[in-house]
Amino acid sequence: MSLIADTPISLIVLCSGLALVLIGLWGMLTQRNMIRMIVGFSLTDTGVHMVMVSIGYVTGGTAPIINDAVPIAEAASRVVDPVPSALVLTAIVIGLGVTAVMLSVAIRIYKARRTLMIDECTESKW
Amino acid sequence: MIAEWTGKIANFALTLLIVTAYGLFMTAFIERIIAKVQGRIGIPYWQPVINILKNFFKRTAVSHGYMFYLGPVFRIAGGIGTLAFIPVIYGSETFSNFSMAGDLFLVIYFMFFGQLGMALGAGESGHPYSAIGIARGLSQMTAYEVPFALAVISIVIQYDTLSITEIVAAQQGGWQNWTVFTNWVATLAAMLAFLGMTGYSPFDIFLAPQEIPIGPPTEFHSAYLSFMSLNRALFGATKLVLFMNLFFGGATGLIELMIKTWLIYMVAIVVGVAFPRFRVDQAIRFFFKIPTLIGIMSIVYAQMMLTS
Amino acid sequence: MVAAFFTDVMLQPLGIYVLALGAGFLVPLFDRAHRGSAMLVFMGSLAGMVAIAALNLYAIINGAAVIDIETAGIAPPFAINLRFGLFEGGVVLAVNIAALLGAWHYLPSLKQHASALLLYLILVMGINGMVMTRDLFNLFIFIEITSIATYALIGMERTGTVLAAGFKYIIATSVATAFFLLGTIFIYYQVGTLNIDDIISHGALIHGPIGLIATLFVLTSLLIELKPYPANGWGLDVYETANSGIASLISVGVSAGVFFALFKLLPLMDAYLDSIAVVAGATFLLSNIIGLKQHNAKRLLGYSSIGQMGLLTLALVLLEQLDAGAQIALVVGGLFVNHLLAKAGLFWLAGIVDRTNIKDWASIARRPELLILLGLMFAALIGLPPFPGFWAKWELVMLLGSADQYGWILLVLLGSLLEAAYLFRWFSHARKRDDELTEHVCSFWQPAPVAIAAALLVAIGFGMAGTMDLDVPAMFLPLLAGFGLWLIDGLPARVKQLAMLLAVAAGGYWLTQELTGINQLFSYLLVAGGLLISIATIYRNDVRNGFYPLLAVLLLSLAALLRASTTLEFFFSWELMTLSSYLLITLARAGIKPALAYLLFSLGSAYFIFAGFAAAFASTGSILLADLGNVSSPGLVFSLLAAGFVIKMGGFGVHIWLPDAYAEADDDFTAMLSAVVSKAGIFGLVIIAAQLGIRSDIGLDPAYVLGWIGILTATFGALMAVFQEDIKRLVAYSSMGQLGYIVTGVALMSHLGWVSALYLTVNHFLFKGILFLSIAGIVLRTNERLMYKMGGLIKNMPVTFVFTMIAIIAMSGVPPLTGFGGKWMLFNALMEKGWYWIAALAFFSSAVAFLYMFRLLQTVFLGQRKLEHAKLREAPAILLVPQVVMIAAIMAISAYPKLLLDPLSAAINPWIANTLVWDGFALQTHYGYWNAPLIMAIVGGVWMVPLIILLLVSLTMKIQKVEQFNIVYAAERPHRPEDTHFAYNFFAHYDRAIGFLVRPRATAFWNAVIEWSHTLGSSLRVFYNGNGQTYALFILMYFVAMVLFNGGLGS
Repeated sequence: MSLIADTPISLIVLCSGLALVLIGLWGMLTQRNMIRMIVGFSLTDTGVHMVMVSIGYVTGGTAPIINDAVPIAEAASRVVDPVPSALVLTAIVIGLGVTAVMLSVAIRIYKARRTLMIDECTESKW
Repeated sequence: MIAEWTGKIANFALTLLIVTAYGLFMTAFIERIIAKVQGRIGIPYWQPVINILKNFFKRTAVSHGYMFYLGPVFRIAGGIGTLAFIPVIYGSETFSNFSMAGDLFLVIYFMFFGQLGMALGAGESGHPYSAIGIARGLSQMTAYEVPFALAVISIVIQYDTLSITEIVAAQQGGWQNWTVFTNWVATLAAMLAFLGMTGYSPFDIFLAPQEIPIGPPTEFHSAYLSFMSLNRALFGATKLVLFMNLFFGGATGLIELMIKTWLIYMVAIVVGVAFPRFRVDQAIRFFFKIPTLIGIMSIVYAQMMLTS
Repeated sequence: MVAAFFTDVMLQPLGIYVLALGAGFLVPLFDRAHRGSAMLVFMGSLAGMVAIAALNLYAIINGAAVIDIETAGIAPPFAINLRFGLFEGGVVLAVNIAALLGAWHYLPSLKQHASALLLYLILVMGINGMVMTRDLFNLFIFIEITSIATYALIGMERTGTVLAAGFKYIIATSVATAFFLLGTIFIYYQVGTLNIDDIISHGALIHGPIGLIATLFVLTSLLIELKPYPANGWGLDVYETANSGIASLISVGVSAGVFFALFKLLPLMDAYLDSIAVVAGATFLLSNIIGLKQHNAKRLLGYSSIGQMGLLTLALVLLEQLDAGAQIALVVGGLFVNHLLAKAGLFWLAGIVDRTNIKDWASIARRPELLILLGLMFAALIGLPPFPGFWAKWELVMLLGSADQYGWILLVLLGSLLEAAYLFRWFSHARKRDDELTEHVCSFWQPAPVAIAAALLVAIGFGMAGTMDLDVPAMFLPLLAGFGLWLIDGLPARVKQLAMLLAVAAGGYWLTQELTGINQLFSYLLVAGGLLISIATIYRNDVRNGFYPLLAVLLLSLAALLRASTTLEFFFSWELMTLSSYLLITLARAGIKPALAYLLFSLGSAYFIFAGFAAAFASTGSILLADLGNVSSPGLVFSLLAAGFVIKMGGFGVHIWLPDAYAEADDDFTAMLSAVVSKAGIFGLVIIAAQLGIRSDIGLDPAYVLGWIGILTATFGALMAVFQEDIKRLVAYSSMGQLGYIVTGVALMSHLGWVSALYLTVNHFLFKGILFLSIAGIVLRTNERLMYKMGGLIKNMPVTFVFTMIAIIAMSGVPPLTGFGGKWMLFNALMEKGWYWIAALAFFSSAVAFLYMFRLLQTVFLGQRKLEHAKLREAPAILLVPQVVMIAAIMAISAYPKLLLDPLSAAINPWIANTLVWDGFALQTHYGYWNAPLIMAIVGGVWMVPLIILLLVSLTMKIQKVEQFNIVYAAERPHRPEDTHFAYNFFAHYDRAIGFLVRPRATAFWNAVIEWSHTLGSSLRVFYNGNGQTYALFILMYFVAMVLFNGGLGS
């Protein structure tokens, strides 16, 4: 319990983010069902987002609003870096878009071929 | 200028006459020897001349076309021309012919002139045996050319010249200077090639003279045939003169010429009566083995002579 | 206000985004109202993007400042900024043009959904963004925008195969972009900025394991997007299945964007340049090997596309390593534009033709316009002149040479050769007329985008030529003349022939009038001689589409070759000659397959020459031909160049293209190939021998080897000719053999050797010209090429017979005709040099030559005539006219060789001191003498005397002409020529004796090479098993491999 408490929150987020990335990759590589692969992708994507957030976090920092509470001189050390958070928002939107397209393609594949198994879709090769 | 050339031409005509007569005599002579070996009496000495004259004055002839007609002309022109480029007797202006026109290389290549023309003439006759004979003869020629060419290269290295006159000149001053003694390897190779060149057994299948009418002359008759017989005598003698010049010291007089060429000819005859006939492919392979090897050695030998 | 908005925004690069997004909104709106107007908006906005890019690029080229666009009114790094400089402008313009043309092509499918139009616009905008943005995260966003638009466009299709391929594509690229995002954020973590310029200037801050991983993540993602081998199966599947419009945009547009991103980030990758080069080089080479196995048209284009991107990346990295930044525009830009236009054009063409298997492309065999476009695109991709790829590859190889990077040169040239193999095999299929196949139907306008792309390629090629060190008007004259004649190709044959002859005469004269020395000699042979032989083409008056323009290109490129003063000009003309002669061979009925072998060997030859020139440039820093002699390693340069020329002449071992090409080409063109075109190789050989063999005292060894190659070529050419049944193949092998003597003569490096080589060259021109033109007449009359099906033609074609006979005597070396002089001089030169073994083989091979020469005359003209040939006529007069001229030349030179020897000697004298000694009419050497006029007189005399005697005898004797079959034949009278004509397998006994020497070992070897490369191709492509998960696994492993390869986490 104390181990976790002593560990900076950003490290925990970072590590679980990386773990999520790996779990997602594992899912994409082992699950033959396309929907499951898409789930794997989502996990990876989320993991990446967590890594991004963790990068900008300053332990004990405050919101990146420069006002009386946080003078400009101390801003760099006291506020959480806002850029990664901003990036993450964009990345999430994009990830959402990609996931949506993936799902719609999967649906179309199912309509066209009556299967969602990736290893049954190997007719173009060599 | 004109007188000079007229003289040369007259001299050459004389040479031609002598060599032809000698060639005809030799043909009969050899036939008689072979007959003796085989236990026959053989032909009279003048039989070849009679044959030629008889054929020449035949009253009828047929022609298969203009190339057929020209074939014998090419053939005998080849014989006469070859002789024209060879100096027959060393040191004699009379018998030097037109050897100033070209060297040994010219002679070797001009030998083909008559053969090619005659082959074309025979071809027009449409007789398959002519074509078969020529095909065989040409194939055999490519094979014996190899040891011959190697031997020629060897003596060209040895004497550092392509001029036949100079090659003969280098062999003067006693028998020990003859190529056959100074470069016996090349001579051996060349004499093996000579066997093929003369067309006696074992290398006579392209003519197959005994059993079937095969070979280039098949369809030729009357005056055509007389031209060809005449050339056979002339060309045969010419080749002997060439070999004598290259390997046996040449000749300084007519008697020496006759003895030497007769002896050279006897090599072919002795082998011819002693051995059975090769098939063409066997003959070709034969020349590509031992004779070629000897030829190769002759070049090495000549190079060693130069360096030592 | 509106005007200000127009000039301040719309005409600025930002206008591209405004247009894309604006049109994106408008298209659905207009679509509701009227589909047509939506399309108008769509195409208009694309055209606007092109216009904006063009205008801004034009301004920048004319000196305007690089445009930096700041967003949100805040300076970078606090806000995203875009940049539009020279490179950005070029790429954006090229991509937008490709997108506009692609939209034109793609419109029939696109217009089914308004949303597809919208997606297309977004896709193009995304690519523009990838090129222009200077922000790392923004780059990620543009990559994703592009990707999503691509996914969606692929997903528009309803076929299962396309969707499956699309899904694999999505999985693969999204994994790659996820890693890109990770890399980006770690870089931000270390540098604290996302602005690319700031990251580069603070590159030192990227350090330690995190920095390594971050950089490698970004790098590898970009590489993956460029589809490196073997992690590229997903890309191939999409190329294969997707609509050609999307495939082309992915291949050229998306790849261009990613490639430019890599270019931008390259300063960060300094430590990894080697690995990028290895990855890119392997991709280029291996995709081209695998391409050999591929028959699916679009998948094959995929391999080619991947290969080309590999080459581009390789070129970029190598230039970076060589600090040759100044050449990036020329090399990388040239390759880029070349690939962009050619590959897009090919994808569109694949869409128009719509045949999956390249073997079915025979359906366009009767569509010359499609064939021409296909050929142009292929030629551009291979890097043949005058396309941009040619100039770029030239510069690249020269640069690599000067940095001693011969391994990379080998890789680039080998890869190009492999690419040529499969592309032109495809072209061969398309040329093959197959009546079974239904002809392809497409509207007139459908190929228009392809045509525009081709026109752009040519135009850019021309433009690039201007920046090179090249005599443009002279070098491009062949192409212009060809183009001009092509325009009148619809006119009657007679008009075309006349125009061609005039064009070649005038152009050839203009190109070669100022030449001197050896070049002048060859100009008589190649230009005047070529003209003489092309007179014979008048014997045919059928349409012969393309024949006359191509012939003009060929002959004029030979003239340009002689005029070349730099290695570039030489190589340019050489390639033109190769291409035009290849196309001319394909014009023959059965010429397509042999033409392919001809082209590949010719390209191989050209690449050897190319490498040799590069090596020379490396040593001297000059591309002047005259400076070749100053190289520091003459042995290497000489060997490379000589190898090239020997391949072109059909040297021993690399001759297998020759008999088929000669045999199957049009009969009059075979005469040209053998008598004229083969002389180009001799010219090259003589030139390099003069420059390298003499001036810089080369070690004897390469020349001695060359001498052996020459004589082996002569021997085996003759031996193989002996066993041919096909008259053209017989003479083709003979041609090979005769050229062998010339090679040996040149290799002698002595005055006499060269005189003999040039003398033999002239002689070869004369007798081979006569022979092949005679054969043209024979084939015209008999419609046969197999000699045993002829016979007795002397009766019908006496003139042809006499001409053939004279040519054969001139070839054989029998005195008194020209051949003897050549053999005599060669033999003397060989003896003088001490090359006795070669001399012996020369003897042997010229004896063997008698066999085939006699066979030709015997089986065609003599023997028994076939009954159906009884009524044949003599060959047409126009075929005989050039032969008469050549016979006259043979006779004149035979009687008086000084006529020829004096100019030959004069041309050689500047290089080697004259050793010809004349004693009156006699030529003397160290060994012997040769008095040609006297020999002629004697032979004439001894020939005339018996003739006159025989004629006199004939007067007294009744000579009866007899009919056919009147022969003494085993007591029976044959009645069928087939039984009696001894012709088939003429030298059976010879075959039994030494036929084992000529079993087709070389053919077997090259077949094995083909087999091996196909096997290699199939073992290399096992990775592409079609399973999306496998592909994803490869991508993952690629990352791991890149990290491990670059020091792993330990560093």
